[in-house]
Parts: sequence; C-alpha cells; structure tokens
Amino acid sequence: MKGLAIDYAILLPALLPVAGLVLVLVADLVNPRLRRVPYAIAGLAALGSAAATVPGLGLGGGSTRETFCLTGRELAGTAPTVDGLPQVCLWQADALGGTLQLAAAVSALVCIALAWPGAHRRRPADCTREPVEAVLLLAALAGTVVVAASRDVGTWLVALELATLPVIALVALSGRRSAVAGATQLLVTSLVSFALLVLGVALWFAATGSPFLTPDAALASGGAFSAAPGAPTTVVFPSVSGGVVALATVLVVAGVGFKLSLVPFHAWTPTAYAGSSVPVATFLATVSKIAALAALLVVLRAVAALGTPALLSIALLASLSMTLGNVMALRQDDVVRLLAWSTVAQAGWVVLPLVSISALGVGASATYLLTYVVATLVAFAVVAVTVRERPGQGRSIAAYEGLWQRSPWRAGALALALTSLAGLPPGVIGLVGKITALRPVVAEGWVWLAVVAAVNAVIGVAVYLRWLRAVITAPAAAVGAPAGTAPTAAPVAVARRRPVMVAGLVLASAVLVVVSVQPDLLLRLLG
Amino acid sequence: MLLLPLLAAIALIAIPGESTVERGIALGSSVVTAVLAVVVVWGRHEVDVPWIRSLGVRWHFGVDGISAALVLLTALLTVAVVAHTLSGPIPKGGTGSTFLGCILLVEAGALATFMARDAILFFIAFEVVLVPMWVLVRRFGDDHVPDETRADAAGRFVLFTVLGSTLMLVGILFLVHHQGTSDLTVLAERHGVGLSRPLQVAIAAILLLGLGIKVPLWPLHTWLPSAHTIAPTAGSVLLAAVLLKMGTYGIVRLAVATVPVGVAQLSPVLAMLGVVGILWGGLACLVERDLKRLIAYSSVAHMGFVALAIASGSETGLQAALFGNIAHGVVAALLFFVVGDLKEQWGSSDLHVARAALRDKAPRFGLVLVVGLAAALGLPGLVSFWGEFLALYAAWSPAPDRPVTLLRVCVVLGAVGLALAAAYALRVARIVWAGEGSDAAEGAAAEPVADARGARWAVVMTLVVVIVTLGVLPGLLLGLSDAATTGLLSGLGVSP
Repeated sequence: MKGLAIDYAILLPALLPVAGLVLVLVADLVNPRLRRVPYAIAGLAALGSAAATVPGLGLGGGSTRETFCLTGRELAGTAPTVDGLPQVCLWQADALGGTLQLAAAVSALVCIALAWPGAHRRRPADCTREPVEAVLLLAALAGTVVVAASRDVGTWLVALELATLPVIALVALSGRRSAVAGATQLLVTSLVSFALLVLGVALWFAATGSPFLTPDAALASGGAFSAAPGAPTTVVFPSVSGGVVALATVLVVAGVGFKLSLVPFHAWTPTAYAGSSVPVATFLATVSKIAALAALLVVLRAVAALGTPALLSIALLASLSMTLGNVMALRQDDVVRLLAWSTVAQAGWVVLPLVSISALGVGASATYLLTYVVATLVAFAVVAVTVRERPGQGRSIAAYEGLWQRSPWRAGALALALTSLAGLPPGVIGLVGKITALRPVVAEGWVWLAVVAAVNAVIGVAVYLRWLRAVITAPAAAVGAPAGTAPTAAPVAVARRRPVMVAGLVLASAVLVVVSVQPDLLLRLLG
Repeated sequence: MLLLPLLAAIALIAIPGESTVERGIALGSSVVTAVLAVVVVWGRHEVDVPWIRSLGVRWHFGVDGISAALVLLTALLTVAVVAHTLSGPIPKGGTGSTFLGCILLVEAGALATFMARDAILFFIAFEVVLVPMWVLVRRFGDDHVPDETRADAAGRFVLFTVLGSTLMLVGILFLVHHQGTSDLTVLAERHGVGLSRPLQVAIAAILLLGLGIKVPLWPLHTWLPSAHTIAPTAGSVLLAAVLLKMGTYGIVRLAVATVPVGVAQLSPVLAMLGVVGILWGGLACLVERDLKRLIAYSSVAHMGFVALAIASGSETGLQAALFGNIAHGVVAALLFFVVGDLKEQWGSSDLHVARAALRDKAPRFGLVLVVGLAAALGLPGLVSFWGEFLALYAAWSPAPDRPVTLLRVCVVLGAVGLALAAAYALRVARIVWAGEGSDAAEGAAAEPVADARGARWAVVMTLVVVIVTLGVLPGLLLGLSDAATTGLLSGLGVSP
C-alpha cells in the first residue's frame, strides 16, 4: 500500500460496521445459541458509526475529509507520466456525504431496534438466524457508508452492491413464501441494474479515461464544452466523448433507478416490502434508498462540473414515479404496500430536483431524501410496534382505527410522520422538503414539471389522509364491540410490548420532531 | 401572540377526555390572544428572527394597514367561536379538547398568515390551517349525514385547497427565484420591476389560480358548499370568516403588490369570473333547499364582489375589496352562527320542511336572522353595503390601464346580482322568519325552537352591533387601510 495515505479516523464510519460484523461472527462461532448479543453488537456498531460521522458534519461547503489519497509523484511509479494529475483521493467525505452516512447509520440503528428479537423462541431449530441477520444488516450499512464517500468506479460499484445484496438475503430470510418471491424479484432486478451500472461505468471510463468519479475527470473528457459556452442548451453534446459521458450518466441513472424504485423500474418494490418482515422493509425503505441516492449523487456531482443541460429523462422518471406511485398507493389497504407505493412516489420527489444538475439540485435532492427517510422510519416503526401488538392484522388500515384513543403518543408520532410525507403542517419538515425540492425545478424553468409535482402533492395528500383518517376516527366498533374481546386483547398488548422497539420508535420520532421545529438544522447539515 | 394559541392548541390536543381545564385554557388563551392582537395592531409590533437560513426564510411577522383589520377580525371571532362552542354541546365525533384545539390551531395559522411578511412563511402558515380544519369537518361534522358524505366534503375541501396552495407555492418560488428575495416588503417595493411582462403574467396567472381556489372564485368554488354544510357551526364560521379571507388577502398581498402588470393583464378574466360568481351564487341561492348551503353560495357571490373590486385596480377598488372582506367575514359569521344553531335544533336545515315561524316563536333568533339577511342583501346602513357599493363604484371608474367597457358591463351584471341577493334574502326571510307555510307544520317540526340565550345571544348581538356600527361609520375601517393601499398600488411599499 505504498503511496496511499490512510487516515483511519476518517474511515471509522465504515470500519465500525465491519468490525461489528467480524465480532458477531466470532461471537456466533463461540456460542451459536446467542440471540440478543449479535443485535447488541450490531446496534453498538451502528451507533459508533453514526458517532464517527459527526466530526465531518461541521465542514463548510468546500472542504472535505479525504483519505486514500494518491499523489501524482507516487503514482508515477506504476503508471506513465501523470505529473499533471492533481491529487486524487479515493475517499472524500464532505458535509453532504457525511450527512448521508449519519442518516444511514441512524436508520440502521432504528431498524436493528425494530428487529430486536423477542425473549421466546418458538422454533429452536433456526437459532442461528439472528447472527446472520445482524451480519447482513451491518454489511449493507457498511456498503452504504462507503458508497457515499467513494470517488472511484471500483469502490463505487462494489460498495453499491455490498449495500444491495445483503438486503436480498434479508428479504429471503423473512421466511414466508411471499418473501422468497420478493427476494427473487429483487435479485433479478438488482442483477439487471448491476449490468446497467457496469455498462455505464465502462462508458464513463471510455469517455474520460479516468477511473475517478470526480469533476476533474469529467472535465478532462469534455474540453469541447468549454469551447462552446455560447450555446449550452441548444447543442446538446458537442463532442463524442461528451455524448458518451451523457450516455453513461443516463445508464447510471437507470441502474440506480432500480434501487431507488423509480417507475418503470419499480416493480419489485411492493412485492418485496409486503413479503419481508417489517424491520427488513424498513431497512429497504431507508438505508437502501440512502445508498442508491448517495451513489447517484456521486456521479451527478462529477457530471455537474460540465454544466450539462438538465436531463429530460430525469424529469420524465420523476413525474412518472410520482404519478404512478401515488395513484397506486390510493388503492392499497395494506399499510406496508401503501408505504411501498408511497416510496415509489417519494422516489420521484427525490430525483425531481436533479433535473437541474447543479449544487442546488443535489442539495435539494439529499434534503428531500432525508426528510422522507426520517418520516418513513417513524411510520414503519409505528407499523412494527402495531404488528407486534396485534399479530396478523396490524397491517391493514382498519387496524389503525381509534389509535388516537388507544395510544395517543404513537398516534401522534404516526400523524406527524404522515403529515410530513404529505407535506402538510404540523409536519413542517415535509413542507420545507417540498419547497426545497421544487426550488431547482422552478429555477430551471420547468413549468410543466412543477405543475405535475403540484398535482401529485394533492394526490399524495389524499393517500396519507386516508390512513390518517383511520388514526383519528373513533372506531364505531369500539362502542358496539363484544365486551369480551377488548379486555382480553389489552393485557396481551401490554405484555408483548418491547422496550427496545419502543426506544427505536422514540429515537426516530424525536429526530422528526426536532427537524420539524427547526428545519434549519437539517438544511445546514447539507451546506 | 402567535405562540399562545399554538401552545394552547397543543396542550388541548394532548389532554384526553372532557374536563373543565380545557375549557378554561381555550377561553383564556383566545381572550388573551385577542387582547394581544389589539395591542399588536395598536403598537405595530414586529418580530423578525431568522428561521431557515439556507432558504432565507425568517420568522418575520408584522401588521400593516392591510392586515390589521383581518388580524382583529380573526382574533375576536375566535373568542366568539370558543364562547359559542363552550355554551353548547360539543359536536359528536371526539373529545372536546380536540375540537377546541383544532379551533385554536386554525386561529394560529390564520393569524400567522395575515401577519407573515415573508412569502415562504406565508405559504407555510397558509398550510397550517388545513389539517385542523379537515379534522373539524371530518370528525365533528354534521352527524345527520352518512359517513361517506362527510368524508367526501372533508376530502374535497382539503384536496382543493392543497392544490391551490401548491400552485401558489410554485408561483411564489418563481417570484422568489427571479427577484432574489422572499421578503414581502421588499417584493412590494420593487413592484414587479425587473420582471419581464410575460413572466409577470405567468406568475400572476399561477398565483391567481392557486389563490382563486381558496377565495373561491367561480368555477373553483365547488368545494365550498359541501364543506360549509357538513362542518360544525364553529367550523363554518371559521371557514367563512377567516379561511376565505386568506385567499383574497393573498391576492392583494402576493399578486397585486408584487406583479402589478401581470394582474392588470389578467384583470378582465378576474372581473368576469367574479361577476359569474355573483350571478351563479345568486341564482343558486334562489333554488337551494338547504339553508347552510344557501349561505355558502351567498359567500361565493360576495367574494365575487371582492374579486371585481380587485380587478378594478384602483385605490378605491382595493379599499372596497378589503372592506368587503371584513364585511363578509362579520355577516357570514353571524348567519352561520344563527343557522348553525337552528340546524342543531331542527336536525336539518331543509327549507322545504314547514316549521314554526321564528318571528312568533323565537323572536331573538328572528331578529338576528333578519339583520344578517339584510346585511347580506346589501342594505344601506349595514356593513356589506359599503363593500359592495364601493366595489361597483370602483369597477365603474377603474384604473387607467384597465378595460373600461368590460368592467362597466361587469358592473351592470353585478347590480343584477345585487337584485338577486335581495330576492334570495327575502325568500329566506319569508320562509324562516315570517313562517310562510308554517300552518302546515306538524309533529316535531311545529315545535318552536328554544330561543338564543346566554353566551350565544351575547355573541350574535355583538356581531349585530358591529354590523350596524361599521355600516353607519365605515370610515373607522377605511381609515385603517387608507394609507396602506395607496402605498401598495404606487409601489412605495407598505411601512408597518
């Protein structure tokens, strides 16, 4: 490793999950009957990872925490003359990347809390499942953290797949038949997406001759861009290599689109969500999405240096995703499926600002993603708690009727999450997210897209209010229900409540409340 | 002042069940808010704290001549609504604390909207009222109708309004992007300078479309009658007196002040829609069977006058619009209080059911109803007269850059609308007050309603006094907004 300067402190966010992973494996080796220890280790690792990202958050706009740096002189030993090459670092965590890493780690922490195993085991045969799950969770987390900071195509691809593949196994491990179907679909789509990504990356390499996903590399390809600054929008790509870069970008967008579940690459989402257990679905909806967007942003920020005109394909993807996701979500009665389709719709919102490939668009997209992640985490956490409480029926909207009366705090958290997703006060953060997401669109003058987004905001409100209505209405059945059922159900509910799970819910809700009152905290993190 | 209702609302929603504490909190906080509102309007206090730095959004609240009257109206009416609610049974559907909490949340949102001095903050405040209002309609709505009807009314209300406000957001973002600031004072001072003409027209069109849903302008009014009919009395009053005002206030504040050329270009459309609204509302009122729906349609007609006044573009027009706003707020509040009470006792508000005449059996209700109806038809000496008269006058002699002929045609049609208003007001008076056909009443319908008493009587009488006072002395209100409208139109900016 000569020629590489490695700063381990900066790598800690990624190293800690890996260390945790190894620890879990060792612990499992020593005592395969352990059930909570793996999760405890995983939780600590995620917590540590979150803490390790904090020093990177205070950085200002330009500065980054870099490591794995190659300097021109040392590279010269292995390659032909590259003296003109500026210093390139393979790991660059700036404020935006650091924030995404933090979000991933916190989401993973909440997922781990939600998946916390119960005290009683029904089937002693599969007592080794927990360590495996913990290992997979940590692996995916590590992949997410790395992809946000990676700056070369190799690391980028490997990390992205590292963030994806364990999730497939997690879905399959959920055990039910439908889970296997979901996992298969997920596997197939992620293979296709991997193929697209590899193709895109190959084109990138062909066009730029550089394995680095940096603005410098992109600029190296597009000398023609600076040559024709007068007509940046009419002549789309003045040079061949510029065109290849654009094609590479489109392919990468498509490949990541699978993972972000953008229409028309969304088909796996409802099946996989509905098939897997709630914590795994939560993981899919949050950490995986962070990984996908982080990967996309790495590429787009490199491309942004070219001043490429905004992409029509992104606009189309965004509007299609929003519309289809919202319309389908309107028809769902299963809350997990509803959230799945809402993910599709929200993915549209996330890429919406990217029509302007600029710092403004990138920041807005990340802001919206974080908003969505926090709100979805809370919603899923409430679902998870409810499912534990009423096994078998906690997933239909009807099960939430009268939640306000039964447990006001949980209902309040859910209401806040749903209004945030819908973009209405009191979920101020959702509203601010919408404003931020629409700003670059308006700045680029995409009126039709802004109007499509406005219409979709309305359909979205309808979706979430359908659920919220159930939460706040008093159940008609509560008055006329047979007196025998209610009292027996209540003690069971109390006995089954898991403190760790509730702690996860409380953590996520607290974050949501804080950013709702003071959205500036979130926005300033992203610079 | 803003924080108080907000905190009280949160506290109320958090308190489960019925208790006397919540009544104290609600009444106390609304009264204190009203006192504070008076103080703030008197002293023209301002708050300016940075909030979301990266978006350039600040907590910037202040009062000026345009918003002062609306702030007072909102704060005082909330006291009335709370007093009215507490003196009767809480509508079914949930606990009283939730109900009162929602009312106070609506108040907080409305006050914030009227006082916001920042375009994006204005939008956020605008949205705050939606969810509590939705809860009021959805959960506490009229329980004589099936659940689906309530769901339909509430859903329609919220979806229409969200569409309107999101479109407004798009317009605001365009404006803010091109002007580089979201401070409404600065935007009003620039007065559209620096924006090309087509851009101004585009922004004005988006803003007017979005706000027109809220006003509501014809043909975007379809959410209003059902929401009004289903909502509980308190909800109807707030909806008519406060929420509708947010639309017209927004047009004046956001559109007229910042993109004057665009609004001037679109003013014929605005005027025509206003007039169609006047006629449509009037005609609908002539045949409408449901009393609450009827008053809702009359709101559409009254807001048509306000739109016409804004379209005229002159200083008088703007004054008329603001005056008409307040007038409609007071009158509609009075009518909805009365009709809501009647509906509560009758069980429905179908005009075709023969009932005992109010004049004979419940003279207090009868008196108040007649005053309200007289105000609605624009009788001189009552508050609405000035709003409508000034609107027609302003449209007859509009600002120089407006199409005179078209506006004058609109004035003629608007005058026809006034005649329609007289017709429908008298129709209601004939049926409900004089009791035409009351001999045919039988069974429960023949029972006289219990007359207004106690706090409710005090509330409606206060409104009657306000109607008469402002009707006789319109200068009280016009003086308040005089300087502000001049500044707004000339682009000098509105100094708080």
